[in-house]
Amino acid sequence: MMDEKKFEIQAMDFMSGNMSDTEAKDFERFLKEHVEYREKYDELLKAWELLQTMQAPEPSENMDKAFFDMLSAEMEREQRTAPKQNVISMLTGIFRPQWAIGVFLLLMGLGIGYFLRPEGETIPIQNMAANNETEEVRQKLVLTLLDQPSANQRLQGVSEANKFENADDIVIKALLKTLNSDPNVNVRLAAIESLTNYVNKPEVRQGLVQSIPNQESPILQITLANLMVALQEKASIEPFKQLLKEKQLDTTVKKRIERSIESII
Amino acid sequence: MQTLTDNALMMKVKSGDLDKLGLLYERHKKKLFGFFYNMGNNPSVSEDLVQNVFVRILKYRQSYSGEGPFTAWMFSMARNVNYDHHKKVSKEGVSWGISPEDVEKGTGDYLNEAMDHQGDSLLLNRALGLLSSDKREILLLSKYRELKFQEIGEILGCTEGAAKVRVHRALKDLKTIFLQLETR
Repeated sequence: MMDEKKFEIQAMDFMSGNMSDTEAKDFERFLKEHVEYREKYDELLKAWELLQTMQAPEPSENMDKAFFDMLSAEMEREQRTAPKQNVISMLTGIFRPQWAIGVFLLLMGLGIGYFLRPEGETIPIQNMAANNETEEVRQKLVLTLLDQPSANQRLQGVSEANKFENADDIVIKALLKTLNSDPNVNVRLAAIESLTNYVNKPEVRQGLVQSIPNQESPILQITLANLMVALQEKASIEPFKQLLKEKQLDTTVKKRIERSIESII
Repeated sequence: MQTLTDNALMMKVKSGDLDKLGLLYERHKKKLFGFFYNMGNNPSVSEDLVQNVFVRILKYRQSYSGEGPFTAWMFSMARNVNYDHHKKVSKEGVSWGISPEDVEKGTGDYLNEAMDHQGDSLLLNRALGLLSSDKREILLLSKYRELKFQEIGEILGCTEGAAKVRVHRALKDLKTIFLQLETR
């Protein structure tokens, strides 16, 4: 006897030719020996043959037409998207060497430009050099002019000093010296104006404060007083008090200085 | 070699040579049509379903791995198409599965042998229609003998042995029903 399931599987294998020769022979022998299985197998074979006779009508031509319409529509759609890619790839294909050359030339240009740049920048450097030179010349000029006996020329010297973008210590010292010792009021006044450009420098402020007691001219005293108020320079209070005590001051100047001291305090 | 060529064609379709689908269609259209028809769909629905299978093949061509025969892949799609169709139809409440032959078949008035033969075929169709759709399906899948039992098993989601047993029993049932119809 044989397990039903096993028989079913073997029968299917045998019928569909899935068995090796020896297996097939074994199964054949088994069928010969067992009549009931033989019958079962025959039935199965008949059913199988029956199934093979089963027919279906021919599909109509409409099916073919519908299919090929669908396929060509799909292919067209595919091609419509494909040409886009083709165009892009064509463009890239065409332009890629040009782009490479373009990029190469650009880089070359940049490189050459970079190496040429120092030459290009000689002008600013020359400018700077020229600037430095003019600064030096102007410094000498200022110093020379401030030493001139003519008040006019010394005034010129102070106005030259105003042209410095950033005056150095020598010029500032010269200006302070002018402020303290120049015989001409106008020159001293101009020196104060010039020095106001550098009030952020401590030595300038100090110099201005120190010059307070030295000033005889009322206009200078008032100018300095105004400047000190503007700067809120507390260090200037003592020199002003000294000035008030020691000198015979014009009453207007006196009031002015007193008011300045108050506003600074 | 047929399946190998099918696979090669399908691989071409996958890689964008859609033209090759025409060849696959010519090769398999009758089988597919027969499958749908014998699954109980009327001819025009069957034609639509064949169309649907190829639409799906196109749509999912990228998922074709080339492993296993093309027909197995195709029939598993056909099976899904059929299933989806019937789900949709039953949702819509439309009756289906009555082919024109079903309507005629009750007459039984056959004049000659040729007609007799056709009568057999009609009887068989009727017998098949009386089988459960599972059994009908497995018989149709095995009918063309292109699919190995292992592949049928894969399509249906069972083992090779189970597929054999199911085909065997479906055949037995078919025979029984056929004989019943014949003696009636």
